[in-house]
Amino acid sequence: MGRNHNTRVVIIPCSGIGKSYGTVSREAAFDIVEELRPETTRLVALSKLVLGDESACSVVRNNPTITIDGCKLACATKMVEESGGRVVKDYAVLDVYRRYKQFKPQGISELNDGGQKLAQALAKEIAIVVDQLTERNRGDSDG
Amino acid sequence: MVDLPKMKVGIVACSGEEIVEGTITRLAALSVLEQLRRNETVTICLPLFLAGGEGDRAFARFFPTIAVDGCELRCAARATEKFSNKPAISLTVTDLLEEYQIGKPQGSRSLNAAGKQAVELLAQRIAHSVDELLVQKWSRGEGKLIDPAMIDEIKEISPEPVTASCACGSGIPVQNVIIAGKQVSLAGLPLIFQQFCDAGKFPDDANLKELVEVIKIYNPIPVDEEQAYKEGIRVAYAKYWFKEKNQ
Repeated sequence: MGRNHNTRVVIIPCSGIGKSYGTVSREAAFDIVEELRPETTRLVALSKLVLGDESACSVVRNNPTITIDGCKLACATKMVEESGGRVVKDYAVLDVYRRYKQFKPQGISELNDGGQKLAQALAKEIAIVVDQLTERNRGDSDG
Repeated sequence: MVDLPKMKVGIVACSGEEIVEGTITRLAALSVLEQLRRNETVTICLPLFLAGGEGDRAFARFFPTIAVDGCELRCAARATEKFSNKPAISLTVTDLLEEYQIGKPQGSRSLNAAGKQAVELLAQRIAHSVDELLVQKWSRGEGKLIDPAMIDEIKEISPEPVTASCACGSGIPVQNVIIAGKQVSLAGLPLIFQQFCDAGKFPDDANLKELVEVIKIYNPIPVDEEQAYKEGIRVAYAKYWFKEKNQ
């Protein structure tokens, strides 16, 4: 994997719209990419990987990837692996919720307050992993 | 004929997280699923075509689907066709924006006024498409709309209500059968077996012929493989029969 200062951590959330956990995964991804770590992360749409879009596959093959799955089927993680990418950390929203039982997510198109807080808590955890990865990449690149 | 779930329309939204049009597809689909046509529609998660079970792929063989895409890549429509069946209707946000001359939508999480307008228009378009599809006849065997001229020749299946919002719970059971050494998934098979068994149809040659004909309504069986399918189905049904009768 070519690592340099331009390497961005790819964040791939579940794209499901049938359950609250899918929405939490997406909100957490937006939190990371738009607010917490906009300079060092980027999104790739899962639908492009499903279709085998070459540019999307190339991005996950050449950058460390963090997946956020909404259910046990783990579509995001499986898709990255099938596309030849390397998942450095995979999150399952249900497992995250078990750590933050006080934030019960409800709603799909509009998450309740608990869901928003769960997404923010997850995003903060992911930000730490992103920092570790980008520091490591910088170290590799600087020799 | 077996009693399969009430006909619903599947909605496959691209949900592309990278672009604002993806958010528009997602919110419009949700508007239809949760409010506009909540009893007539289910959502199918696009990645489940690959990562999920056969039930998700089977859905579009049994029911019509509407693919809702954000951009000209048309991931939802193409993936649905690739892994399941050609969508009955394909809608694209970029086409809609051009058609209605809406301003530029912005904000992947919090849409601007143009984005919200696009969601509303797209949701109405999807709901209208659902209505169109529900008054037409869908061939569950061929996975396409039936020519109205042929409708008199086809008996429709009696519907039973089923509650489901996503196709993981679409209610279409699928069973794997070994056909000529290969594992093949046959949609609706558990229900068909159950119905034959309940009717006391012993797994003999006469009943097997009828069984295969019913299975063919819901699953394509290549002509040159029909004998192999017949043998695989015979073995599977005999197992089912004796298991049920010995309980």
